[in-house]
Amino acid sequence: MDGAGSEDVDLMSLMGPEVSADPRPMYQALRDATPVLRLDGGMVIVSTRATVEEVFRSPDVFSSNMSAADLGNIRPLIPLQIDPPDHVLYRRLLDPLFAPRQMAKLEPEIAALAHRLIDRFVDEPGCDLVSTFTIPLPSEVFLTMFGLPLEELDTFLTMKDGIIRPAGETMAEQDVVRKATAASIYEYFGEILEKRRVDPRDDLLTGFLTAEVDGRQLTGDEIADICFLLMIAGLDTVTATLDCFFSYLARTPGHRRRVVDDPDTIPAVVEELLRFETPVAGVPRIAVKDIELGGVQVSDGDQVMVVLGAANTDDAEFAHAQAVDFGRETNRHLAFGGGVHRCLGSHLARLELRVALREFHSRIPSYHLAPGAELEYSPGIRSLTSLPLVFGD
Amino acid sequence: MRVTIDGQACTGHGRCYALAPDVFDSDDRGLGVVLSVGADIPPELERQARQAAANCPEQAIHLS
Repeated sequence: MDGAGSEDVDLMSLMGPEVSADPRPMYQALRDATPVLRLDGGMVIVSTRATVEEVFRSPDVFSSNMSAADLGNIRPLIPLQIDPPDHVLYRRLLDPLFAPRQMAKLEPEIAALAHRLIDRFVDEPGCDLVSTFTIPLPSEVFLTMFGLPLEELDTFLTMKDGIIRPAGETMAEQDVVRKATAASIYEYFGEILEKRRVDPRDDLLTGFLTAEVDGRQLTGDEIADICFLLMIAGLDTVTATLDCFFSYLARTPGHRRRVVDDPDTIPAVVEELLRFETPVAGVPRIAVKDIELGGVQVSDGDQVMVVLGAANTDDAEFAHAQAVDFGRETNRHLAFGGGVHRCLGSHLARLELRVALREFHSRIPSYHLAPGAELEYSPGIRSLTSLPLVFGD
Repeated sequence: MRVTIDGQACTGHGRCYALAPDVFDSDDRGLGVVLSVGADIPPELERQARQAAANCPEQAIHLS
């Protein structure tokens, strides 16, 4: 089986914008070809449900450390880039802050933020939902949790975009932007932290200052490394998910009517669209041991891309996997990943998604894509550049 | 029916207590816990328990 799983394709053909608009045929082709594929550049693509689970269950082999992804940071992001055994020490501290019961307290505030945004366009004939809703909402929720004024929105957006989609023609130019942005993020949170030390508030940052990990207080660097991660992981992902959800519902009136007529179905809608759309298409790992995976030899140092979207549309796991079914009885999707690094903010994300769907449809039950609108999905994290909607039938 | 959660496998997806709130709750970290530890669940809750087990992404729920 020498050469099994090695194909003449490059990453861009797997992850380009056209694929991102509807990645499911590419997922199918990947799974049909081989559960694990080694690209010419050496990257290993993992695409079946079974092999994805294997990766998630072996964090000692498939590490999430700093080498798995370059985000411009100079220290490991906490907890994403910390491997076991230290990883759980941080999760014990952070999980309760993002647990469902804790998140439920935010529901009225998130609903108020959503209505404040909807107020601005509800009387218009339509809107670009990206600039008016899907970008500001997650960031404003984040600012609220951090006890920061909503006027900081633009500062926040500049910082997260400088990491996730840095300006620049070449990789080298982008790297410069990313590193400079990372330095500004460390400085930004460092300054706020100093303010909270002298003037404690009832917010996440103040909580970090008094929190203990392994019997000691967190250092300033550790708190900055947590805040950096929350900013990078918590804003773009929810924006992309809202983009995917609303663009799907704008094109499928029958499904949208279910949401409008029966708001009780919204939790199931959220889970099924998370599965079908998988807005975070994949997550990176790096092999730190030699191992065989899905018939392919993976070597220490190999970059590994875990394609969540392919696992979530695998017929071996899901009945009629390529169809959207809000009444699906069994839905073990991995849209938030799996294993020890399962998304820390998943319960916050779910709450934001449910509230956004419920409140938006209560006020704008009917809408469709503006005529001629061409949707551009970014690769990897499937956000839209714009989502022009026209309200009404 | 007896319901148990494998604490090593559970990573807190939260599907069990969302789908079967009469059988499961969450601990302060958001990990699943069984409400009736060490006791059988009443027959009328078995359907909920089965649905939760089938929906656990980590297959951490065991029914016996």
